[in-house]
Amino acid sequence: MIEVSDLRKEYGDFAAVEGSTFAVEDGEVFGIIGPNGAGKTTTLKMLAGLIEPTSGQVSVAGYDADDTEMRRRLGFLPEESPLYEEMTPISYLTFFADLYDVPSDVAEERIDETLSELDLDHRERQLGDMSKGMKRKVAIARSLINDPDVLIYDEPASGLDPLTTNYIIQFTERLAEEGKTIVFSAHNLFHVESICDRVAIMNEGSIVAKGDLETLQAEHGETEYHVYTTVEVPDSVKKNGRYRRVVNSMDEVEATREAATEAGGEVVDIRTEESSLEEVFLNVAESGRVEA
Amino acid sequence: MSKSRGLLDDVRTTIARREIASLSREKTIVLALLIQLFIAAFSSFLVVGLTSLYDPSSVEGEGIRVGVSGDVQQDLNETAREVDGVTAVEYDTQDGALSSFDRGEVDAVLVANRTANGSRIDVTAIAPEENLRTTLVVVKIRELLTEFERTERDRRSVDLSFQPIELPEDADASPYFGFTYTVLIPLLLFLPPFISGSVSVDAVTEEIERGTLELLRVAPVSLVDIIDGKALGMALLAPAQALLWIFLLSLNNIAVSNVLPILVFVTAIATVVVVLGVVLGLATARRRQAQLLYSVLVILLFGLAIFLPEHPATTVAKLAVDSATLGTYAHVVGFSVGAALLYAGARRYASSIDVESL
Amino acid sequence: MRPRKLLRIARWEVTKNAGGVDKRTLAVAGLAIALIAVLAPAVAAQGAVLDEGIYRVAVDEDSRYYDVVEENPTFVARPDATREDLGESVDLYIEDGYVSPAASPKGRAAKEELRSAVQAYNNEQLRQEANQSAAFPVSVSLEYREQSQAGGTLATDGEDPQQVRDPDNRSDNRTGDGTPVDGNGSNATDGTDGTDGTDGTDGTNGTDGTDGTDGTAGAPNSGGLGGAGSAISGDGDSVDSPSQLSPPFPFESLVLAFVFIIPMNFLIQAYGSTILSERLNRRGELLLVSPVSRYEIIGGKTLPYFAGAMAIEAVIAVGLTYVGTGTIGGLVSIAAILPLVALFLAATFVGAMFARSFKELTFVTVTITVGLTSYAFVPAIFTDVTPIALISPLTVVVRDLQGQAVAAPEFLFSVTPPLLSAIVLFGLGAGLYREEDMFAQRAIPLKVLDALAGPVRKRWHVGAMVAVLLPFVFVLQLLAIAVLFALGEVSIPLLLVVVAVVEEIAKSLPVYAAYAHKRFERSTVSALVLGAIAGAGFFVGEKITQLAQLVGLPELAQGQAALQIAPTDVGAPILIALFFLPLLLHGVTAAISAVGASRGKRAYVVALGVAMLVHLVYNLAVLSEVLGNV
Repeated sequence: MIEVSDLRKEYGDFAAVEGSTFAVEDGEVFGIIGPNGAGKTTTLKMLAGLIEPTSGQVSVAGYDADDTEMRRRLGFLPEESPLYEEMTPISYLTFFADLYDVPSDVAEERIDETLSELDLDHRERQLGDMSKGMKRKVAIARSLINDPDVLIYDEPASGLDPLTTNYIIQFTERLAEEGKTIVFSAHNLFHVESICDRVAIMNEGSIVAKGDLETLQAEHGETEYHVYTTVEVPDSVKKNGRYRRVVNSMDEVEATREAATEAGGEVVDIRTEESSLEEVFLNVAESGRVEA
Repeated sequence: MSKSRGLLDDVRTTIARREIASLSREKTIVLALLIQLFIAAFSSFLVVGLTSLYDPSSVEGEGIRVGVSGDVQQDLNETAREVDGVTAVEYDTQDGALSSFDRGEVDAVLVANRTANGSRIDVTAIAPEENLRTTLVVVKIRELLTEFERTERDRRSVDLSFQPIELPEDADASPYFGFTYTVLIPLLLFLPPFISGSVSVDAVTEEIERGTLELLRVAPVSLVDIIDGKALGMALLAPAQALLWIFLLSLNNIAVSNVLPILVFVTAIATVVVVLGVVLGLATARRRQAQLLYSVLVILLFGLAIFLPEHPATTVAKLAVDSATLGTYAHVVGFSVGAALLYAGARRYASSIDVESL
Repeated sequence: MRPRKLLRIARWEVTKNAGGVDKRTLAVAGLAIALIAVLAPAVAAQGAVLDEGIYRVAVDEDSRYYDVVEENPTFVARPDATREDLGESVDLYIEDGYVSPAASPKGRAAKEELRSAVQAYNNEQLRQEANQSAAFPVSVSLEYREQSQAGGTLATDGEDPQQVRDPDNRSDNRTGDGTPVDGNGSNATDGTDGTDGTDGTDGTNGTDGTDGTDGTAGAPNSGGLGGAGSAISGDGDSVDSPSQLSPPFPFESLVLAFVFIIPMNFLIQAYGSTILSERLNRRGELLLVSPVSRYEIIGGKTLPYFAGAMAIEAVIAVGLTYVGTGTIGGLVSIAAILPLVALFLAATFVGAMFARSFKELTFVTVTITVGLTSYAFVPAIFTDVTPIALISPLTVVVRDLQGQAVAAPEFLFSVTPPLLSAIVLFGLGAGLYREEDMFAQRAIPLKVLDALAGPVRKRWHVGAMVAVLLPFVFVLQLLAIAVLFALGEVSIPLLLVVVAVVEEIAKSLPVYAAYAHKRFERSTVSALVLGAIAGAGFFVGEKITQLAQLVGLPELAQGQAALQIAPTDVGAPILIALFFLPLLLHGVTAAISAVGASRGKRAYVVALGVAMLVHLVYNLAVLSEVLGNV
C-alpha cells in the first residue's frame, strides 16, 4: 500500500530525514517511534504529500505523494490539529466532506455515525469552546470523512488524559480491524506495542531498526530468565519466601541451578521475560546502530 | 506588583521591552522607518511637484503670450502691460487669434466684447488643453482679467456704494505653506499613533489567538501587567516616530516649533488609540474583528473631534506653525489628562476580565 | 482549478465568520459607519477649521482690514500688538492701510493669505451692490482646446449659452443643473482649498454659497468633493468674475482617488488577517492534505474579498457616474479599477504569506497601503496634465467619470501592468502556499528566494522567471517617471540610475535564488549560460512592454530614457543595432551577476553592483547618442 524508498529531506545543510526505506502492506498497522527530533513527523508529512522530499520516492496506494488522487484516499491527522475555532463540529466536518467530494447524504450519515462512535455530543457547539479531547475526536472524525484506505496519524493520543488516550487507541484498533492501513507515530510505546503489526525506530533522521515486534526483540532485545530458588544464591533477591536471580543466558540459568543444588536447595521456577518495545527502543537508541 | 521594585526591573517594563524587541527582531521597525522615508520623499515630492506645476512664480519662464481680440482688445492690452509675465498680442479677428493659437504662437486667446447694452464685458478665454503649461496659463489669465476687472470697476465706481479695499501686494510666498502646516504635518504626526494603536490590537489578539497569553499567565504576572507592558511599548513608539518625522521635515526645510508640546500631544493621542486598540483586542479576542472596529472607530473619533473647542489636527498645526494660543496648550493638557484617565479605565477593565474566558 | 471547489471554499470563507461574535462586531461597525455618515457633512462643513487661527495679525479696530481679519477664521486679530511684536507674537502688522509681514516664510504666507481674504471680502461686499454690472463688469467663459488641432472648428464667442449673467441665478451658475448648491457644507476640501494659496477663488470662501463647486470653475479636473458630481461632467466653465477662475487643480482627482482607494484599505486588513490566520498554529495544514489544489484554496479564500471590493467599487463608480452625468454608466471605470483591486489583494496576499505575526502584518499592510495608494494616486493627480498619468488605472477612472473617452490602447497601457503584477504576485505567493513556508518561522529574504526558486527546474525557467518579473520592473520604472518628472531635465540621469538598479535586480535575483536552492551546478560556465538566459528572458519581456509606444509616452524625454525607445529618424543599421544592443547588454550584465551568484552571497552583491554600473554607463552612452542624433 505504501512504498518508501531512500527518502531524504534537507533543510539547508541539515538532513531531517535521510535514507528512509520501508513498505507498509495492505491492512497493516505500522508504527514509527523515536525520540523528539528523530524525523518522525517529517516522514509522515512526506507520506501525506505535505512536504516535498529532497530526494527519494513515496508512493501511496500506487499514487505519487503529490497526486490529488492519493489525497482523496488518505486520512491525515497531524500532531497538533488546530481547527477552525469559529465552526461547529457539524459545519466543520461537512465542509471537509465537500472538499473530499463526499456526496452530502453519505457525508451526513458518516458524520453522524463517526461522532456517535467517538461519543461526541455537543455537535453544535463552537470548536473553540471544546476541550482538547473533544477537539481531537473531531479531528479524528475529519480524518475519516472520506472513508480513506490509508490513515496517517501523527501522535494520535499525545497530550490527552489516559481515559481519552485509551479510547482513541481502541478506536484506532477498530479501524485496523476494519482493514484500513494505518501508519502512526507515538512517544508512548505501550500504544504502539499493543496495536502495531510492525515498527520502525527512528533516530537522528534515520531508521535504525524496523520489523515486527518478535524480530525486533530477537535482534535488539534481550530475553531475561527469572530463576526462583529455595535457597540464597549469588545476586539473588528474596521475594515472597523465595529467592530470585535474573540472568540473561541459558548458561547462567544452568550455573544458578548448580549453585542452588550445592547450597542444598533447588530451582522451583524459571520464567522467561521478553524485552518490551521500550527496552528495545532504549537499546537501539543507546547503541545507535544503523540497520543495514 | 510590589511597590518596592524599581521601574527598570518592573515586570511591565520587561514586557514592554519584549514587545519592542520583537518588533525590531521582525525587522518591522526597519519597515516602519522605510515607510516614513518613503512618505517623506513622497510628501516633499508633492510639495515640490505641485509647487512647480501650479505656482506660476516657481516656474521660471519668459511669461505667456496672449492673443486678444474683440472690441475692448485695446483696453486689455493696456492692462496686460501692467501685469508681470503676460504679453498681449492684438488680433483684428477672432479667427486670426485662434489660428495663431493653433500654431502655438500664442499660449491663450482672449476674446473680449461689450454686451449689447454695453454695461458689461464678456470675455471668452481659450487655454490649451492637457498641457503642463495649462495651469500657468490659466493663473496668468486670471491675473490679467482680475486686473482688468478692477480697472473696469474703477470706471464704474460712481455706481457703487462700497469702495473695495486695496489689495496688499503680492508677497511671493510659498503657496504650500498653509497646506504643509495644516494638512501635511498633522497627517504625518497622526500616522504613528494610528499605527501604534493598530499594532497594539495585534499584540493583544495575537497572544490570545496563539494561546500564548496562558503561558504568560503562568509567570507571576497579571493581565493588567501584560496590558501595561504592551500599551507602554506602543504608546512610546509613536512620539519616537513623530520625532523622527519632525527631523525629516526639518531636512525638507520645514521648521516645526513647539516640539516638546507636540510630542506630549502625540503621546496623549497615541495613548488614547492604544487604549482603544487594547480594549477592542480584549473584547473581541480576534484580530480581524478588532482591527475592523479599530479602523472604523478611529475615523469616527477623528470626526467627533470637531466638537472639541479645537480639532486635534488644528492643535498640531498651531503648535507646529508657532501660533499656539492658551487654548491650544489647554488642549494639550486636557488630552494628556483624558488619556491618563482612559488608560486607568482600561486597566480597570483588564483587571475585571477572566483570562480563562479569552 | 475546479470552480466548484473554489466556490465551496469561498462559501466557507464567508460563513465560518458568521458566528456569534461577528454579528456583534458587524453591528458595532455598522453603527459606527452610520455615525460617520451622519457626521460627514458636519465634518465637511468644519473642514475650514483646520487652518483656524494660523496667522496672527496686528490690526486696529478702525482699520478697513479689521473686518477682513475678523471674518476670516484663518486669522486672529491682535489689536494691542505693536510693531515690535512682528515676527514674535504676530505675523502681520497693519498700520495706516499698509501691511508689513514678518520676515519669515510664515509672514509672507500670511500676507498672501490676507491678499486673497481681502479679495474675497471685496467680492462679498460687492455682491450686496444694487448695480451688479458695475460691481462685476467682466464675465468670463473659459474653454480648453488642443493646440495642435485644426483651428476654427469651435464656435466660441461671447454668446456662449452656458454663460450666466443673471445675478439671481448666480448661486448655481457653475453647476448648471439648476439646484442651488448648499453652502459650505458641500465642500469637504474646503480646508485644503483655503490653504493651497494658488487658488484665488478661495477668496469666495463662505460668501457665495457655492464654495463646493468653486473648484469646478476653470478646469476639467478641479473641484471639491461637494462639486465632484457636477464637476466631472463639466469641461470648461463660465464665471461672472475673473477672480473665480481656477486653474486645473487636482482636487477632484484626489477626492475621487480617495473614494475609490479607501475601501480597499479596510478590505485588505480583513483579507490579510484571514490569510495569516490560516498560517497561525498550522490551522491551514488540513486544507493542504485535502484533495484541493492550493490554487483552489487561494482562489476560494480571495474570491469573497475580490467580489466584495468590486461590488463596492462598482457602486461607487455607478453612483458617481449617475451623480455626474445623470446616466447609468461607469463600466469603463469598473473595468479599470479591477486590476487595482487585484493588485491590492495580491500584494496583501504575498505580505500575509511573508509576515510572521499580526504585528508584522500590520506594518506590511501599511506599507502596501502607502505604496499602492501613491502608485494609484500620484499619477492620477496629473490626469489632465500629462499622458504619464495613464500609468495609474485611476487616471482612466477619473477620465471616464469626467466623460472623456478612453481609447483602447490607453486603457490597455494603463491596466496591463497592474493586472500582470497582480497575477505574478499571486503566483509567487502561491509558491509559498505550502507546508514548509506557511508554518515555519522562516526569514523573509529566504521566503523571497523560495518564491523565486520554487517553480525553477530547468535552465530556461530562470529566463521565464525574469520575464515574469517584468511587470514589476515596468510599474516601478513608470512610478519613478511619475515621481521624478516634475524635477525636469535633472530627472533623466536619476531615472537611469533607477532603471539600472531595478533591472539588474530583476535579472539576477532569480538566478541567485536558483543557486541558493542548489538547482544548478555552481560552475562559471553554468553561471554564464544562466546569465545569458536571464538576459534573454528580460530582453524578450522588455520588447513586449514597449507597448508603451502606443500612447505616445515616448514623446517625453523621460519616457525614452526609461524605456530605451529608439528614435525613428536614424538609418536602418543604427536602428537594428539599437534594437539588438539591449540584448547584448542584458546578457552581459546578467552574466556578470550570475557568476557572482554562483559564488555565494557576498560575491553576488559585489557582482550585482558591477552589473548595475555597466548598465548605467551603457544607458548614459546610448542616451547621449540618441539625443545627439535627434
